[in-house]
Amino acid sequence: MSIITIKNLSYQYPISESDALKDVSVTIERGKLYALVGANGGGKTTLCNVIRGFIPHFYKGDLRGEVLIEGKDIREWGMGELSQKVGYVFQNPFTQISGVKDNVFEEIAFGLENLGMEPGLIREKVDQVIRMLEIDYLRDKNPFELSGGQKQRVALASIIVMEPDVLVIDEPTSQLDPKGTEEVFKIIELMKNKGKTIILVEHKIELIAEYADYIILLNEGEVAMQGSTREILTDERALTFGAALPQYSLFGMEMRRRGMDLGSIPLTEKEAIEAVKTWMKKGVNA
Amino acid sequence: MNNERSMLSRLYPTTKFMITIALCLAAFIVPGYGFSYAVLPICMVLAYFAGSFKEFSNLAIKALLMIVVFIFILQSFFYPGHDILWSWGIFSIKREGVEFALFLTSKIVAVASAFILFFRITKVKDLVHSLEQIGLPSKVTYVILSTLQLIPEMKKLTLVIMDAQKTRGVETEGKLLVRMKAFLPTLSPLILGSVASTEERVLTLESRAFSANVKKSSIYTLEKTKYDRLVQILLIVLLAILIVWRVAL
Repeated sequence: MSIITIKNLSYQYPISESDALKDVSVTIERGKLYALVGANGGGKTTLCNVIRGFIPHFYKGDLRGEVLIEGKDIREWGMGELSQKVGYVFQNPFTQISGVKDNVFEEIAFGLENLGMEPGLIREKVDQVIRMLEIDYLRDKNPFELSGGQKQRVALASIIVMEPDVLVIDEPTSQLDPKGTEEVFKIIELMKNKGKTIILVEHKIELIAEYADYIILLNEGEVAMQGSTREILTDERALTFGAALPQYSLFGMEMRRRGMDLGSIPLTEKEAIEAVKTWMKKGVNA
Repeated sequence: MNNERSMLSRLYPTTKFMITIALCLAAFIVPGYGFSYAVLPICMVLAYFAGSFKEFSNLAIKALLMIVVFIFILQSFFYPGHDILWSWGIFSIKREGVEFALFLTSKIVAVASAFILFFRITKVKDLVHSLEQIGLPSKVTYVILSTLQLIPEMKKLTLVIMDAQKTRGVETEGKLLVRMKAFLPTLSPLILGSVASTEERVLTLESRAFSANVKKSSIYTLEKTKYDRLVQILLIVLLAILIVWRVAL
């Protein structure tokens, strides 16, 4: 069953001349991980803002077309209501701190406090999330004094604790080091296994190849391609729309071009090794 | 002082505020300036029991000494009067002026030290929490708290910007004029950056359901203890006695 349906969506920012999104139609299925890819300025963040309801509730501008979240139009959802339905984590770890809490535990609890949940229950839930994300050692620290990676994980925890069905995660790792990236992706995988619907904007295409179920490729505000991860990442046309391909599929394509077809185009390191092994065996036998 | 907080600092913020108000009122009820000046040592003793004697004394004396000295000089020389105590050329100290200065400074010392004491022994977090309990909107308390937390952050950011401008060849050290010239290239990115990050701060708050239309709860709790009651009653009784004594006088 689809949880989000977008039909013929166009959007223009208040002071801009042209549409940031042009005739976008996308269906998001429950429990799947969707990766939004494409060059900068392609409309990825704008689409995230629409799904989270910041457009049209916070940014004005001209929104045309249909955006249904669980069958209800985005314009009819209230901002407060939506926060329990769609969680939003974005790029900059430094501004995703409420700024009024002096320890991580209360920082994570902030969202639930705003929902007026009973304090005992809040403590229980925050404890749970802290244990799940393995950030217990940060518990009593001041959120302002964390590193970028730690802040990003606290930001994720603060959203996850509110238990939204959909997580919109906009370039969570672009300001992080490899270790921070790995830890953030561990959390994303954990959420996927919990059955959350995830919409992820990310440039690290190798990670997308590993985690995403579907890919939506945006180019200049239009959906250039969409389909399963394998379908998109083994298609050379993706390159012309400003997307990157994993080095393993580029390798597979290059081999094919030189007349050394591997049989399939690999996506991940594991698949590439497999494919090369079988290909070499074939070569020996022939 | 940290975990084992003293009894005084464990009082509820409103009770602490009542102490401050009581001290101020008392300073105005009791005639003369002796008692008003005595409020400062009283506050020092209270600060000692709250475990912040040194900070309080430092701050209070530094802040008040300048004001008191200036008022004394200005009032004793320029207050209109006839009873000249000492004169030098066209300047003369008048008795009326000295009396007025004593009156004025004693009240200032009393009120100021009572308030400094309050802010020394009350954590902002506690104060804001109790204000919220009274019914102040959470938007207002958010502004108070976030401003206080952002000031040290802005300081750090200023240093980063100054370093960045230095690498671009802006001189930030040296004579006064050089420093003044560096002011604009340092401040404008700071202010513009803060404005820009406001947008993301709003998104953060919205993501955390800040504008949800329900009554917010809080996992941070402050308990009113029996001591609060005791102190409040004590204060009211003392004030009543003072008033009766003053009227009977």
